Amino acid sequence: MDPGSNLDILMARYQAGDFAAATALIQRIGPQLHRFFLAQFSSRADADDLLQETWLRIHRVRHTYRPGEPVLPWFYAIARRVRIDHFRRASRTTARERRLEEASEVAVTIPREEGEPDDLEALLAPLSESQREVIRMMKVAGMSLEEVARATSSSVGSVKQKVHRAYRNLREHMSSLGLKKGPSGGLP
Amino acid sequence: MKDEEVDEVLKSSSRAAHEVEPALLKRIADSIHPSLQPVRPLPPTWVLTAALVLICAAVAVTGAARTGFYGIEKLTLAERLLIFTTLGILAWVAGREFVAELIPGSRHRLSPGALLTIASVALLAVFALLFRNYRTEHFVSAGIACLVTGLLLAIPAALLSWLLLRRGFAVNSVSAGLVGGALAGLCGVTMLELHCANFQALHVLVWHTAVVSVSAAAGALLGWALREVATSH
Repeated sequence: MDPGSNLDILMARYQAGDFAAATALIQRIGPQLHRFFLAQFSSRADADDLLQETWLRIHRVRHTYRPGEPVLPWFYAIARRVRIDHFRRASRTTARERRLEEASEVAVTIPREEGEPDDLEALLAPLSESQREVIRMMKVAGMSLEEVARATSSSVGSVKQKVHRAYRNLREHMSSLGLKKGPSGGLP
Repeated sequence: MKDEEVDEVLKSSSRAAHEVEPALLKRIADSIHPSLQPVRPLPPTWVLTAALVLICAAVAVTGAARTGFYGIEKLTLAERLLIFTTLGILAWVAGREFVAELIPGSRHRLSPGALLTIASVALLAVFALLFRNYRTEHFVSAGIACLVTGLLLAIPAALLSWLLLRRGFAVNSVSAGLVGGALAGLCGVTMLELHCANFQALHVLVWHTAVVSVSAAAGALLGWALREVATSH
């Protein structure tokens, strides 16, 4: 069964005011979005906050989902917006603090505080942020090229190009490490 | 190393389960519970696009009715057909992209920059083809009057379009502002083509076409300002 079609039904029931469907969506999409936030230089606490903020926004704009449209791009498009707003606020706060304290070495991005980077993040480390984002959406969320294009407000061609470049970089990186499939199928 | 091998390594690495505290998920569910009312989903894209095009047409005709239909009266049937068909297609394309900008996860056929470029180039091509009078009398004064008239008309068009799509959610407010501004600008150009009887080629090419880009720039600026306000605290 296509997992997307199941999400469609849950989303329609959520729009109809069904709390059980809303809870089921939170249980299914929540961990994916949490991983999406955690992967992008945020601490676990930040990822928790971003997940809550994203759901509040999803809840506020749930009428903008139209039945029959792909669900995951809708969720990820909102999550991306929340993440961008968060980075913007964080950069502004950092800049303000820097001015106040006259500290010159304050990083704009927030370093990961806890939690080891998982296998996938270690593999994706040499890629650019936009390439990592596309690969994460495809491999973690299981989205198609078309869905990634919708989630990132770009064309399918542009997503294809990013994937192509990401694979080329990964091939070179893995070859230079002499990396092949490990015994568990993941990193050796 | 082959793509299939890279793919296999990525697939197996991404299989690791990601745990989120159940208490966090429960807290989120509890926080939305009190306001969980049934909502009416937005209508399909084509319905919203058609409504936007109708709004633009109505605003342009109303504007021209107040100032006079001198332009369209002077145009031949073929010229009318070419100009207004082009404007209609461009308004439909801009309207569809504006709807996509205000509905998360929508399919984007054109980037905002490409839309603006296509609209400007299409208008320039049509005007260059139809208007061959290269005299430039009162180029600046007449031009500014048309630019201001077109932009003033773009304001109600933009407001009504926003009113129609007020339940939407802009994932990127700068892009949404740019596309909405371009649509409103096209409404302004439509009104100018109905009203303006100055058929000097440079006047039409420069000042009429400029309405679209100036209006789009104003929309993008407004979107940027709104985003700055929203993320400033």
